[in-house]
Amino acid sequence: MGRYILKRIWYMIITFYVVITLTFLSMKLLPGTPFQNANRLTPLQLNTLKHYYGLDQPIAVQYVKYLWNFIHGDLGTSFQFGNTPVIQMLVAQFPVSMDLGTEAMIIGTVLGILLGIFAGLYRGSFRDWGTMIFATLGISIPSFVFAGALQYCLGVLVQLFPVAGWGTPSTHVLPVTSLAVGILAEVAIFMRTEMVEVINQDYIVTAQAKGLSRGAVVFKHAVRNAMIPVVTILGPMTAAIITGSIVIEGIFGIPGIGKQFVSSITTNDYPMIMGTTELYSGLFIITILIVDILYGVIDPRIRVSGGRS
Amino acid sequence: MDKLLEVQNLNIQFDIFGTHVQAVRGVDLELNVGETLAVVGESGSGKSVTSKAIMGLNPSPPGKVTAGKILFEGQDLVQYSQKQMQKIRGKEISMIFQDPMTALNPTMKIGKQIMEGLIKHQNMSKAEAKKRAIELLSLVGIPNPDKRVDEYPHQFSGGMRQRVVIAIALACNPKILIADEPTTALDVTIQAQILDLMRDIQKKTGTAIILITHDLGVVANLAQRVAVMYGGKIIETGTIDEIFYQPKHPYTWGLLSSMPKLHAKIDKLLAIPGTPPDLSDPPKGCPFAPRCPYAMKVCLDHMPSYTHISETQKTACWLLDERAPKVDPPKTVGVGGK
Repeated sequence: MGRYILKRIWYMIITFYVVITLTFLSMKLLPGTPFQNANRLTPLQLNTLKHYYGLDQPIAVQYVKYLWNFIHGDLGTSFQFGNTPVIQMLVAQFPVSMDLGTEAMIIGTVLGILLGIFAGLYRGSFRDWGTMIFATLGISIPSFVFAGALQYCLGVLVQLFPVAGWGTPSTHVLPVTSLAVGILAEVAIFMRTEMVEVINQDYIVTAQAKGLSRGAVVFKHAVRNAMIPVVTILGPMTAAIITGSIVIEGIFGIPGIGKQFVSSITTNDYPMIMGTTELYSGLFIITILIVDILYGVIDPRIRVSGGRS
Repeated sequence: MDKLLEVQNLNIQFDIFGTHVQAVRGVDLELNVGETLAVVGESGSGKSVTSKAIMGLNPSPPGKVTAGKILFEGQDLVQYSQKQMQKIRGKEISMIFQDPMTALNPTMKIGKQIMEGLIKHQNMSKAEAKKRAIELLSLVGIPNPDKRVDEYPHQFSGGMRQRVVIAIALACNPKILIADEPTTALDVTIQAQILDLMRDIQKKTGTAIILITHDLGVVANLAQRVAVMYGGKIIETGTIDEIFYQPKHPYTWGLLSSMPKLHAKIDKLLAIPGTPPDLSDPPKGCPFAPRCPYAMKVCLDHMPSYTHISETQKTACWLLDERAPKVDPPKTVGVGGK
């Protein structure tokens, strides 16, 4: 197992390096300049700025320099936020997004799995299609519509929860709910499909033939097997959700990192583009490793640590 | 002999997409303590559905028992609720399935899969159940049972898995063991081992076996009595000698003829031409009539009643009516090239 993980970590580093390189090169292809008032600057001023940020050097040199700094933990400074170090911005903003995302992931996944089990068990009945209509709505209603409706109903009309902001637990309720609905719906639909598949397997009949109760058959035999494919979608989903949502964070005024993914690109904030991409891809690569390890925990057939097979 | 199980006029219907498939149409069966009854027939003859009905395992909907009784020690299992059936399944009646590759939960240690029934039915502690699971594994001939009890199904070969499936079925010393094509999915060499094991176990535990199969070789190996099913009906039943040496029904003749024989001079396998009837619109007469080379006009319109050939053998065929022409079974029926 240790050997396997070491090998995987080596592959992860290579993947990460490729991502950095490709991002760096494609970023240089972006039109425009990072300097806001570029058209009002004289060529001399522009050149001075470029020289100051090292943008006048050949791309190869910039690239090597970037890598060198990266290895030493320096991701450069943001162009749009008055030379604040990128690292500092990530450290300040990412935990907020991660909190929001983690809470939504946990709630969405747990409820989604339960709902999927429920629908799968009652396949074809009104309980099934009722759940599936709900799930389809959850996927198809844009989160800003849903968030807005929540704000209006529970924030303005009933005034149960604050409309916006981030801090006390009650401020979490609306944004976490808005974010969790989509996750819940997607997981529920996936889990349902898997349950329907698993419930028709021979080993479920074997379990019934032992005289086990319906609950024992479902939770001890069906669910675990149905979970295996669900774990696959959870990995990348987690990476995407905890790196923030520009929409939800925007609507609820949450100081997360979500908006940086877009604003860094529209402003050609090179170091910030690199920083956010590295954060996202790093998390993505790590969650995929976690998913693969989880597979082994759930499914003994995929267990990597030797043994006969 | 003591009747352990008696199936009376069992009718089972599956309602699928607006059609009513009458999978089992008036089946009568008897099983005595400690004996082996083989139920033989081709795919779709209703043999598996009948056996699953005894366990209450036909999915409902779409399946439902529309008439008849399944008397187990005098109690009608058809009337039992799911809760009551849970106390019968695995404890009084257990089942062995066809495909050992899919019959075990891939994510659960085999020991635990055996222990579940013990904990449920015999109120054993985990430690006791595990001890018994190891005993069962050694009973079914799995080497190093104390080590293998903690392994997963994928670490076992097909034959070994079928042994595990048998161990699960035997866990609570059931009175009846239903084996639904227990060797069909196995290698020929492994088939013989599994049949030996089943015979051995019956000797040791005295459990009665209902053997569902289409393989007459398996029947000859294990059973004392045979019921031949076709089109949801039992068309002939008798002792093993009666069915093999003096079969009366043309379908039984066909089954026996299609068995490959070691010393036969012909190099072609004999088959019964045609296909089984569509049970969503069951034939009025004998279900085998359209494929029967001896079919008469009456066969198509009226289902024959049983003719009792002996105390133990009865056959539903118009050829046995005194008005019917005399027909001799084809030479190919002979068993084992004799």
